[in-house]
Amino acid sequence: MRGTIIGRRALIGAALLAAAAGTATAQTTITVNGSGGTLAEAIKRVYETPFTQETGIRVRATAPVSLPKLKAMVQTGNMEWDVTELSGDFYPTVVKEGWVTKIDWSQIDPEKKLPDFARGEYGLMHSSFTEGLAVRTDKFKDGKFPSSWAEFWDVKAFPGPRSLRDTPRGNLEFALLADGVTKDKLYEVLATDAGVDRAFRKLDQIKPHVLKWWKSGAEHVQLLSEGEVFAASAYNGRLAQMKSEQKLPVDIVWNGAALRSNYMVIPKGAKHVKEAHLYLKVTYMDPKKNAELVKEMPYPGFLPGIYDHLTPDVAKTLPTHPDNLAQTFRLSDDFWAANREKMQARWNTWILQ
Amino acid sequence: MGQGRGPVWLLVPAVLLLLAFFVYPLAGILLTSVTEPAPGIGNFHRFFATGVYLKVFWRTVQVAFIVTALCLIVGYPVAYFLVHAGERARRLLLFAILAPFWTSVLIRSYTWVVLLGREGVVNRALQETGITSGPIQMLYTAPAVYLAMVQILLPITILTCYGVMVEIDRGLVRAARVLGASPVRAFARVFFPLSLPGVTTGAIITFILAMGFFITPALLGGRREMMLANLIEFEVNQTTNWGFASAIALILLAATAAIVLPFQALSKAPNPYRKA
Repeated sequence: MRGTIIGRRALIGAALLAAAAGTATAQTTITVNGSGGTLAEAIKRVYETPFTQETGIRVRATAPVSLPKLKAMVQTGNMEWDVTELSGDFYPTVVKEGWVTKIDWSQIDPEKKLPDFARGEYGLMHSSFTEGLAVRTDKFKDGKFPSSWAEFWDVKAFPGPRSLRDTPRGNLEFALLADGVTKDKLYEVLATDAGVDRAFRKLDQIKPHVLKWWKSGAEHVQLLSEGEVFAASAYNGRLAQMKSEQKLPVDIVWNGAALRSNYMVIPKGAKHVKEAHLYLKVTYMDPKKNAELVKEMPYPGFLPGIYDHLTPDVAKTLPTHPDNLAQTFRLSDDFWAANREKMQARWNTWILQ
Repeated sequence: MGQGRGPVWLLVPAVLLLLAFFVYPLAGILLTSVTEPAPGIGNFHRFFATGVYLKVFWRTVQVAFIVTALCLIVGYPVAYFLVHAGERARRLLLFAILAPFWTSVLIRSYTWVVLLGREGVVNRALQETGITSGPIQMLYTAPAVYLAMVQILLPITILTCYGVMVEIDRGLVRAARVLGASPVRAFARVFFPLSLPGVTTGAIITFILAMGFFITPALLGGRREMMLANLIEFEVNQTTNWGFASAIALILLAATAAIVLPFQALSKAPNPYRKA
């Protein structure tokens, strides 16, 4: 009797173990962390579901992108994410602090299709966007509204409350552009102390007219859509949404906008590093998929061939379209990596005065 | 009160919870503040040596004081009225005071954004009735923050004051009137002093909450209205300077305690006239 019971139990136990082991290998799930929101639906449809269909690896999407959460997970050794989106603002920080894993480019892009600047040592630069001047066209008289940073600074010709982002990154460049520095000389000037002083002095001029310094995309959308401010710096994707979905009278000014980028990184301690590399390869080395997503949100990557799959109307709205690229400047991640702390400290003091 | 201590063991679950979820994390924060990024009191030194942070500190204290004072000025008479009101009026008023209390602070702060905006309800009403010709800038100013904070904290002030006032023996006031005091004198010499200890407690609670406010100054204030909690959030989320953030949090805790404790002593003054 006893022998039979033990025998049966052992059998059941073995069967369960086999099933569990079988499940584990057949159904790997990677966790891809992103910004969530309305874009998450499109990402699931265009990127994640096809990935599962092609490789059999399941994708669990999480949100939001949070730097302190990344830090906490690295420090406690409990990394939930396998891949995460990360703002270019924070890329130098995570590299310096050692919170990310090195990318093995031979697994993703052995033929070097991506341009060099998009192949980061610790991240794949997967999307670009602009932070630039946005105006409420209905709040200005005679249909004349600021179409450059110099005009944004001109409160006499274009009166009204404004908003800028609460950070030195980008604003210092805008101030210099408004002061007459040309795009190609921006970082030359900023490399000198005199140049930085010049930028802050210019910012002193606009400070009394800045109603609110925005911190998040949602904030500047709200300020513009409710008419609290007449002009602001804004993200091109958000503006596009405001125009198409909310039908608001806003306009993007490409002139003088800062071209910024986001990365996909593999956090330190990620449990499925190989699968994460595969995800990056399958998703971001496919021009068709990237073009498909760009139709939802105008944040194109740098993979050649995306424009082959887009109509001219959509192509015109993208930051990397040659017409727009000519008017924008690339925000220098290198400059900011080297000077972030210094500038941020000075900014904090300056803004509270 | 009865003799003996009563079943002290009933406190054990609460004490355990407090130890696990308050004392232990607090110890962790204390440790972080003196070890990150380098061992020592560098974070505290940085806070007090930088003019900018001290400015935020004093502004926080100032805002907390002003908001508490405003809450008392508005709340005390309301509590007084509640005590002397009829049954129906009291119930109605209590409901009106409590109902917004059941809505989250975020929602209540955000509705002020809708109300006070350039194209918001208040501005539109003012313009349509001809009182003003153009929109007034109300949002992202200090008055907006004060207004919203008072509205959010008022129920707490009113209810604590009411709780104390209801205990006061009204016979004493009547006795004073009978002995010849005018209504004002009876209030000033009898009722008011009796209400003070409890009102002080209400003020203390309001003050403590006001010192830690985060959402309201973040949503409704401009850069000048930044309070310590906002600064902590910045250091946690933006710069991930957790050692510094922990130091600021401890400074906030110490400052609040330092201001509150003397007043706490006041509220414990012995009261020979309380109802037995």
